[in-house]
Amino acid sequence: MVTVAQSLPVPLCLPALREMFEARKRVFVDLLKWDVPVVEGRFEIDQFDDEDATYLIVPDPHGGHMGSARLLKTTQPHILDTLFPHLCAAPVPRGPRVLEITRFCLGRQLGADARLETRNRLVSALVDFALDHGIVTYTGVAEMGWLQQILAFGWRCRPLGLPRSIDGRMLGALRIDISPETPRLLEAEGIYRSTPLQRLELLEAA
Amino acid sequence: MHPFERAEFFLRDVSETNTESELADALGIVSRELGFSYFALTHHVDIRLSAEPAIRLHNYPGDWVDYYDENSLGVSDPVHRASHMTSVGFAWSEIPRMIAMTAKDHEILMHGEGRGIGDGFTVPANVPGESNGSCSFANPAGTAIREEDLPVAQLVGAFAFEAARRLWRVRSPRVHPAPRLTDRQRECVLWVARGKSDWEISRILGIQHETVVRHLKQARERFGVGKRTMLAVQALFDGSISFNDILKR
Repeated sequence: MVTVAQSLPVPLCLPALREMFEARKRVFVDLLKWDVPVVEGRFEIDQFDDEDATYLIVPDPHGGHMGSARLLKTTQPHILDTLFPHLCAAPVPRGPRVLEITRFCLGRQLGADARLETRNRLVSALVDFALDHGIVTYTGVAEMGWLQQILAFGWRCRPLGLPRSIDGRMLGALRIDISPETPRLLEAEGIYRSTPLQRLELLEAA
Repeated sequence: MHPFERAEFFLRDVSETNTESELADALGIVSRELGFSYFALTHHVDIRLSAEPAIRLHNYPGDWVDYYDENSLGVSDPVHRASHMTSVGFAWSEIPRMIAMTAKDHEILMHGEGRGIGDGFTVPANVPGESNGSCSFANPAGTAIREEDLPVAQLVGAFAFEAARRLWRVRSPRVHPAPRLTDRQRECVLWVARGKSDWEISRILGIQHETVVRHLKQARERFGVGKRTMLAVQALFDGSISFNDILKR
C-alpha cells in the first residue's frame, strides 16, 4: 500500500506526514546538507509544502515512514521554475497534466535491500498515480548520480537542458513522459510493483 | 549549434539504436563535435547473471589499446577507480586529487602520455545493485579539453551508458532471478564484512554458533562463492548490503 495525501491545509497535524517531514530532515539536511528550511529543529518544510502539494508515502507495517515523494503543480510556482529555470533550454514545461516530482526521499534507516524495494514501490506508485489522474508528464531536478538511476528505471525520460554545477552539486532537469505503456517499461527493468494507492483520510488527524 | 542541441541530436540517434556498432557510430560523431578525438564506453556487469560479455565500445588507436591490455588496466586503471568515487564527470588531470595514487598509478599516467594519450574526461555511471561503468572522452597528448563542452559530455555520457545498458539487457534477459539473502543471512553477511568471526557474530546476534555457520554457508551457496570475503564482496556488489550499512556504527 502507498498512501496519497492531498489538499491538507495543515500537514503537520497528521502523524504520517510528521514522520515524513522528519525523515526528509534526516535525508536532505543531515545527510545531503541541502540548504533548506527546518521547522522546530526536526521537520524539513519549505514554502512548497502547502495544500496544493500531493505526497506519496510508502509506510512500513507500523505506519512509520520508509519513503516518500512530493508532487507540485506546474501551473503555479514550483522548484524548477522558481529555483532552477536556467536548467531548462526551452521554457519550463507547465500545465494541468504536468506535475513536478520533488523531495524523493528514502528513509536513512533502510538497509540496501529495503532501500531498493522502497524505491521501486515509490516509482511504481508515481506511475500509477499519474495514470489514475491523467498526468502525462513529470518534471524534476536531479543530481547526476541519481539522474543515472532515474534513466535506468526504463521509462521514457529526456533532459530539459544541460546539467550545471550549482553550489557544488551537478544538477540536471528531466522530463518523464507517462503513458499506459510505462508500467510495462518499468517491468522490463524489474522495477514495477502494482501497489494499491490509498488516500489518507483527514479523520486520522484527530 | 547551441550546445544542448548537440546532446539532443545524439539522444535522438541513440533512441533508435539497436546495435552496438550504431551506438559506437553515434558516440564517435558526438565526441568529435565536442572536440574529442576518442571515446571509450565500458559497462562492468555482474558476470554471475549472464554469460554474455559486458559492453565495451571505443575508437582508441591500436597502440593505446595495446598499452591498456599490456598493463591490464581493466581492473586497476586509476580512471576506473576514480569513477567509483564520484557521480560527476571529471578530467583525468584531476585524478591525483580524487584517489590515493600509488607509484604504479603515476607510472601508468606518465607512460600513457609517452604513448600519445593525453587528457580525457570520464563520466561515471553507477546503477546500484546492478552494474557500473563509465563513458570517457579523450584527446591525444597536447590537445586541450574544451571546458565549455563538458556539460554536454556529461549528459551524453549518462545517456550513452543507459543506451549500452539497455542493449546489454536486450541480448541477455535475466533468466534467473538474482540470488536474494534472507534477513538473517544478510545480517550475518554484514558482520562478516565488518570483520567478525562466526563465533563473534553469534554473540552479537544472540544466536547459536552453528546457526551462524549455517546461515553463512547457505548465503555462500546462493551467490555460488566459496570464501567469506567473496561473499561480502558479492553482497556489496549486488546491493544486498551497502558501504553505508558496513561503515555506520
